[in-house]
Amino acid sequence: MSEIAAPAPRGGKWGAVGRRVGVRLLSAVPALFGVLVFTFLLMRVLPGDPAVFFAAGANAGQAEIDIVREQMGLDRPMHEQLVRYLWDITRGNLGNSMTTGQPVRTDLVERLPASLELTFSALLLALSLALPLGIVAALRPGTLVDHVVRFLCTLGVCVPTFVSGLLLIYVFYYLLAWAPDPTGRLDIFAATPPEITGFLLVDFALVRDWEGWRAAAGQLILPASTMALFVLAPLARMTRASMLAVLGSDFVRTAKSLGLSHWRIIVVYALRNALLPVLTISGIVFSTMLGANVLVEKVFSWPGVASYALDALLASDYAPVQGFVLLMATIFVMVNLLIDILYGVADPRASVA
Amino acid sequence: MEFNRRQGLAAAGGLAMGATLPAGEASAQTRAETLRYVTGNTVNSLDPSVPGSTRESFGLSMNVYDRLAAFGRKRLGDNWVFDHNEIRGELAERIDRSPDGRTFTFHIRQGATWHDGTPVTAEDVKWSLDRAVSARSLAPPQMSTGSITSPDQFRIAGPRVVEMMVERPDRLALSNMCVPYAIMINSTLAKRHATTDDPWALNWLKDNSAAGGAYIVEQHRPGTQTILRRNDNWRGGEQPGFRRVIVQTVPEVATRANLVERGDADLSIDLQPSDVAALAQRGRVKVVSVPQTNGFTHISMNNTMAPFDDVKVRQAIAAALPYQDMFQAALFSRGRALFGADWTTTPPNSDFPQPMPLHTNLERARELLRESGHPNGFSTTFTIGTGVSAWAEPMAALMKESLARININVDIRKLPDAQFNTGQAERTLPFYTEGGTAWLPAPDYFFRLYFTRPQRWNFASFNNEEINALTREAQFETDAARYDAACKRMIEILAAEVPLILAWQPLHEAVMARNVDGYTYWFYRQADFRDLKRV
Repeated sequence: MSEIAAPAPRGGKWGAVGRRVGVRLLSAVPALFGVLVFTFLLMRVLPGDPAVFFAAGANAGQAEIDIVREQMGLDRPMHEQLVRYLWDITRGNLGNSMTTGQPVRTDLVERLPASLELTFSALLLALSLALPLGIVAALRPGTLVDHVVRFLCTLGVCVPTFVSGLLLIYVFYYLLAWAPDPTGRLDIFAATPPEITGFLLVDFALVRDWEGWRAAAGQLILPASTMALFVLAPLARMTRASMLAVLGSDFVRTAKSLGLSHWRIIVVYALRNALLPVLTISGIVFSTMLGANVLVEKVFSWPGVASYALDALLASDYAPVQGFVLLMATIFVMVNLLIDILYGVADPRASVA
Repeated sequence: MEFNRRQGLAAAGGLAMGATLPAGEASAQTRAETLRYVTGNTVNSLDPSVPGSTRESFGLSMNVYDRLAAFGRKRLGDNWVFDHNEIRGELAERIDRSPDGRTFTFHIRQGATWHDGTPVTAEDVKWSLDRAVSARSLAPPQMSTGSITSPDQFRIAGPRVVEMMVERPDRLALSNMCVPYAIMINSTLAKRHATTDDPWALNWLKDNSAAGGAYIVEQHRPGTQTILRRNDNWRGGEQPGFRRVIVQTVPEVATRANLVERGDADLSIDLQPSDVAALAQRGRVKVVSVPQTNGFTHISMNNTMAPFDDVKVRQAIAAALPYQDMFQAALFSRGRALFGADWTTTPPNSDFPQPMPLHTNLERARELLRESGHPNGFSTTFTIGTGVSAWAEPMAALMKESLARININVDIRKLPDAQFNTGQAERTLPFYTEGGTAWLPAPDYFFRLYFTRPQRWNFASFNNEEINALTREAQFETDAARYDAACKRMIEILAAEVPLILAWQPLHEAVMARNVDGYTYWFYRQADFRDLKRV
């Protein structure tokens, strides 16, 4: 992490970064492959026969179960299924979902932006709250302010997301009617923006439909707040701990003795150095949120990937679960890589190793 | 993109309808003429016969596709329920039945068209019927319950006339033309998308419709929402009250309840009994509660597995269950009890399901258990699926407590639905509970489906020679008195043998805006939007 970078080879600094990124991506391939095979096997080891579950129509007998089994390719020996699955993956085919009746890739492509938009908003919201709270707590350790922050964080992490979600809906939608009805990304009667990026806020902004943008943002506030509350604790606590460590270090003492202004010391010198661990934890929090926001997605009818995967899992629908795990693994690799690159920005001594 | 968002929809709708209403007027109209239906399930196929289709898909298809015939509806108290004894033509304007009951002649409605405007032909109907008995779908096994098994049974008898012949006068041949699977398809359109691997276009029809029913699919996003637009050229029945229907998936049940109560949604049918009770009490919505006349909740014992292979053990269990308490705990008594009848050997009529002479009597249960050779009781596992745990868990806890009093130790096991279904289909569950619904609520069909043959829906793996013989005969019995007698006899056997315990018929509860009227309970337990209107 903090090793000294080797002398820059041909292509300059950015060429080197690019090459390292390439190497990192390549080295992720075995890990992804492992995840792929593991999920494949795990799904088949789990009890519960998807064919029986899906052939549940009135009068469906063994013949119908066999049809579904054949449709899902489960009538073939396991090793053949695996080889076929891997071959399909190389061609970008993730199989079909029985739950929605669509190709898994179509479903994921349609749903991933919803999950990402929610997670990004929640993370931004959480960071915008956690950083000031953490800093304030670190500046006044042991005082009432510190205790209040600690209390808030504990509260956020203690209340399960589905409880806080339902509570927010009850108060802001049912009682006060401030929030729009909690059913997905956009009011059902509203016109959807043209599909450009899949992120509604971005798409609305691109076509300059500000009313639509406000509506989409309105739908986003409650679920994003629910998730932000839940991840407030790790972020705020990490900021506080890290700030405390930095504020007690020699260079801050030096800066103080040189008579630099209070805010300059905190924001420019202390915070920048304290951000490194916060950045790491943000990456982890982001990846976790993306997969773990299933309850929030359920409560707010958010058409995201996590609730999609849960439905599939409950129905023992193999392809969507496998597709979801693969997607998550890929995102995890990407996020880690991005965090490492950001490291270099926050701390030039660190490099993309 | 400067238009108001609500007007956006109106504009889109207006364009689609080929009308140019002033935007303001249109938007006011649109909400009142739109039915927003929220459900916990998803429509995963537009063709209900595709293997894996959800119940929601069945319901949607009734609105999108016509069938040759349809069941009528009748009043039950203040509510509407389907009437399987009254069958009317839907795509057929007239249905003739030959005197020997073996030939049905369907006369296609004059001027009937598909959604694309082309006329419905006898060839279309023949192709659709052939598909229902030939495709690798859910339809053939259902059709076979009405002795409809081969394309040879359908014949084009003239322009707009199709004949259906059955070998014996099956009581349910015509009823099977009314079920969700018996869709009539625009064959010209469908054949264009058929392939050699998929001659019946199952894959294409899963995501597309080739229909002529009361509603046209405007947008279909599986797992999220489906939007329907009224087909103003539809002549299969009275014109539906809503111009537009939005079917939206809202997974969280509390949210669905909130949406309807706040007036943002117009209809939901799959709410928790506890929520429905609270909603009814607050009175801001209309609650329609109808006993599911063709359904039941059962407590099944595996009749091929010790100790439940002993009739005395089954009778002991039946005498030990605290029916009234279970009914209260599971459903807040919102349903029709199928226990506590006061007849002993012969039922008063041939209706089925009907209340059975089941009473809680622990003394009698202990005695039966002694006679069965289990004076010290035994241990068993009672399985429930997660999908029904809301009502099954409290019920199971009461059962466990009561059975412990006669020394039967019950272990309650909760399984994910897929796992539960697998155990059920492989008949490895000794003792479990679930619900069942028969599309065609004729007593002999009930018995044939749920109490004969080694197949999945024979929940208790029951095998009784007399019932087997009776169901085989009753299917073709044309004499009403003899049919009645056969059905009564089957109910008698059921009461004596208790292969499983029929506990109750849950209520079908629909919660809707107070100005929505006409809700009807249909055999496939879904809303039929064609019945509804705003008053």
